Amino acid sequence: MKTVLSVDDSASVRQMVQLTLQGAGYQVIQANDGADGLAKAKSTQVDMVVTDLNMPVMNGLSLIQALRKLPDYRGVPIIFLTTESDAGVKQQAKAAGATGWITKPFQKDQLVAVVKKVLGS
Amino acid sequence: MQTNMLDEPLEVLTLALQGEIFALEAQQVREILDLVPVTEVPGAQPFVDKIINVRGKVVPVADLRLKFGMEQAEDTVDTRIVVIELDIDRMSAIVGIRADKVYEVTELAPSSLAAVPRVGMRWRPEYIRFIGKRDDDFIVVPDIARILSPNAIDLVAEQASLDRKSASVALAGG
Amino acid sequence: MTSSDIGDTNDTFRQESQELLEELERVLLDLEHRPTDGDLIDCAFRALHTLKGSGAMFGFDRLAAFTHHVETAFDRVRKGEIKATADLIELTLAAKDRMRLLIEAPDEVDEASGEQVLARLQDVVAGASTDAAPADVAPAEGRPATWRVCFRLPVGAMSSGSNPLLMIEELHDLGEATVVAQTDSIPPLDELDPGECYVGWDVQLRTTASRETIEQVFLFLLDDMELSIERLEAPADAGYAEGGPLEESDDVPVVAEAPSVQPPPAEAAALQDEPAQKSSAAPSPEQTPRAASAGAKSGGSVRVPAERLDEMMDRVGELVIAQSRLKQLTKASEESQIKSVVEEIERLAGELQDITMGVRMVAIGTLFGRFRRLVHDISNDLGKEIELVTEGEETELDKTMIERLADPLVHLIRNSSDHGLETPTGRAEAGKPAKGRITLTARHAGAEVLISVRDDGRGLDRERIQARAEDNGLIAPGAKPADQDLFKLIFEPGFSTAKEVTNLSGRGVGMDVVKRTIDELRGAIDVRSQTGEGSEVTLRLPLTLAIIDGLLVRVGRSRYVIPLSAVEECVELTPEADVRSTGRSFLNIRDELVPFIRLRELFRSQVGSDPFQKVVIVSAGGARVGLVVDQVLGDHQTVIKSLSKLHSDVKSFSGATILGDGTVALILDVPQLVEDGQAHDDRFKAAS
Repeated sequence: MKTVLSVDDSASVRQMVQLTLQGAGYQVIQANDGADGLAKAKSTQVDMVVTDLNMPVMNGLSLIQALRKLPDYRGVPIIFLTTESDAGVKQQAKAAGATGWITKPFQKDQLVAVVKKVLGS
Repeated sequence: MQTNMLDEPLEVLTLALQGEIFALEAQQVREILDLVPVTEVPGAQPFVDKIINVRGKVVPVADLRLKFGMEQAEDTVDTRIVVIELDIDRMSAIVGIRADKVYEVTELAPSSLAAVPRVGMRWRPEYIRFIGKRDDDFIVVPDIARILSPNAIDLVAEQASLDRKSASVALAGG
Repeated sequence: MTSSDIGDTNDTFRQESQELLEELERVLLDLEHRPTDGDLIDCAFRALHTLKGSGAMFGFDRLAAFTHHVETAFDRVRKGEIKATADLIELTLAAKDRMRLLIEAPDEVDEASGEQVLARLQDVVAGASTDAAPADVAPAEGRPATWRVCFRLPVGAMSSGSNPLLMIEELHDLGEATVVAQTDSIPPLDELDPGECYVGWDVQLRTTASRETIEQVFLFLLDDMELSIERLEAPADAGYAEGGPLEESDDVPVVAEAPSVQPPPAEAAALQDEPAQKSSAAPSPEQTPRAASAGAKSGGSVRVPAERLDEMMDRVGELVIAQSRLKQLTKASEESQIKSVVEEIERLAGELQDITMGVRMVAIGTLFGRFRRLVHDISNDLGKEIELVTEGEETELDKTMIERLADPLVHLIRNSSDHGLETPTGRAEAGKPAKGRITLTARHAGAEVLISVRDDGRGLDRERIQARAEDNGLIAPGAKPADQDLFKLIFEPGFSTAKEVTNLSGRGVGMDVVKRTIDELRGAIDVRSQTGEGSEVTLRLPLTLAIIDGLLVRVGRSRYVIPLSAVEECVELTPEADVRSTGRSFLNIRDELVPFIRLRELFRSQVGSDPFQKVVIVSAGGARVGLVVDQVLGDHQTVIKSLSKLHSDVKSFSGATILGDGTVALILDVPQLVEDGQAHDDRFKAAS
């Protein structure tokens, strides 16, 4: 079973991501900010990361950069959540090494679709 | 390894083994059972070679008489198994202690060591947890964990050699 | 997600937004005193941002819309465009109150007051924000058409997690696709970066999907990749590119095309609108089937606290016991109605038991996965190249056992890495490949699980181990124990033969912990080694499922249970055979000599034996032994209860169970008895 790391400081978003992805057959690990996410990613090799950008302690952009520095996470899909219509943020995140994005607010099936898109089933 | 004297009152359950009265810390006692069918465990040490079913849990029964070098009289209608829970070697364990008779839950009062008579104490100080006073009697609360611990030395053999050494067994760190 | 799940997430949202609102209020009040404090401003912005986002996600649209404006204002403060004036803070506090109402009792909130707040906010901010609602871009669906999709990923795409194979799969999902790889850009081997994708693809796709839908496949890389999507009027002929260069299509490569897919909210909409498509005649692409399957699979999996699982297992266990007692009590009854109900209960209990048994079992792969990182780190620490190979990840073990095996396996892997595998020079000298290999395997064998750690290093040094064992007094000087017995001694405390104590191992602390843990799990350890080729440590563990099928037997007056999975067969021991084998250690079973143990002797049973005893032949680890019992009583559903710590020294039993009459029966430890039987065997062989 593939494992997804869900990084978001909002508990309700994390919970929603967890329930949605578990229902779609993935295992989900939660983290509540970038630093927590990085620590968890280091201790458990996950198959994919879904992260918000706006978080305390360590934001999503820094998390993406940090993850891409880890040899084990080279090539692992990282999706970021953004409400910004601003193309600049997307470019920044991609430059940091993100694979793709989901704009908030999003529906459950959108989330599943994106996860399947970059991870397979 | 000093024998501990009580410095505050302790709630205990008093019981009898071969005519002698001992006590167990009340907070360790889980329940008191009448005699139930036992199953023997071949290969176990003699003093703990029986197991019983306590509501679905398999509990060993310890016969302290064997550890204290006492005779083992037949079971009577008064025989009970006192199920206690305690830490043995840093792990929680549930054990049934076989008693000839169970008296009551009572309070042991603090007392000074000097007041304890030397006569009649048959075991090493290490295996005594507390000595307290009830009315005019001194009652020993044995250190069950140490006695039952797999690391415990054979008390009976010890006792024999101790007897040989000296007539009076000092209680205070002897 | 069930409706209760939805209820749960709503509750979580409410709770969370409560906290956020309280925090927002605190921060705003602080901000009044320190209006230029950047941290406070960030905090406020984040809170508003989260409230808006989650609000939208959980259907609190009015909250989201309202909060959006407040958030925009704070965004401008954050960017330094406006200041956090007392007015602004005041207004925001008022807004916060409104937000709370919008969450708690949205129906009671009127629009007018909201407009007022927003109007005043606008005044303060002097600049309204615009936010267009996501435009619904509905790509036209329609008749099937043939497209030619040529694409090539940008540099670094794969390192950033893109997987071209998944994109190709997506194209396949859209219709009929013929895929041809373009290999012309692949550099020679010594220039090749294995993390890069040098392959391009030429795909001919027949589909009813629109161009936008096809583009969506490459959504995340549209801006950076080479992509051309060209509609073909006729199916391609044999001249279709096979290894040829990418042809320029009529459409300009997508860098210029991208704007047609904007505005960005349309992307979300594009992903979003597929399930809403009802008008398309042809089966619509991935989304609807996926939405459907996501719905069908919503039963997925559930997280359960481990204690609850244990509780459930206990209850099922007790149910099985009670059911078996009930059966005994009704055996004598003539009441057919009662008996049929009892049988029904027996069937149900059995099924429940089967289901719950599966619940506790976990594939060992979860454990193996953790070791990859370990080996990687060790590899770096030691400066040796080490490769970890695993087999049998799907082998299932009881959940609690898996956790307890983690440490021992870590020790074994460290030991193999540190002492088993040679340094790169050493390996070169030995003519071995530079990468040392550690193989972890797991498999079921009868009533046991075998987990082994094998390395292709230098193997164990027999002489050193012998010397050390003699030093430690574990064997007599000059004794010649068999290899496997000698090697087992490395698990004795303080044994380490390592010349230096490295950071990782060598203090002799690790291996005896391994042994202790395996002993506690009532397992055994086997060690094999070949000098120069490597060594292998195998852990043999009993399958301690909480409930197993057992064979109930009687020895003297006592009853015992033998795990049925270990039982090969039962044969009769005729009185003649009994006499014949007195004083001997073997029985002749169909011309094969099988070591046997008279359990009456082993258990010191006082009672005389039955005239017609039975021999229950059991096996473990490939070896067999015959257990002589007085009577075989039959099958017994055995709920395994562990023995007390006080009986940890008792060798012959692996646990106990409660019989139908409420008494306790001990469960025989088959591997242990087989070992004892083998010991007879060896002594016999040594003597002859």
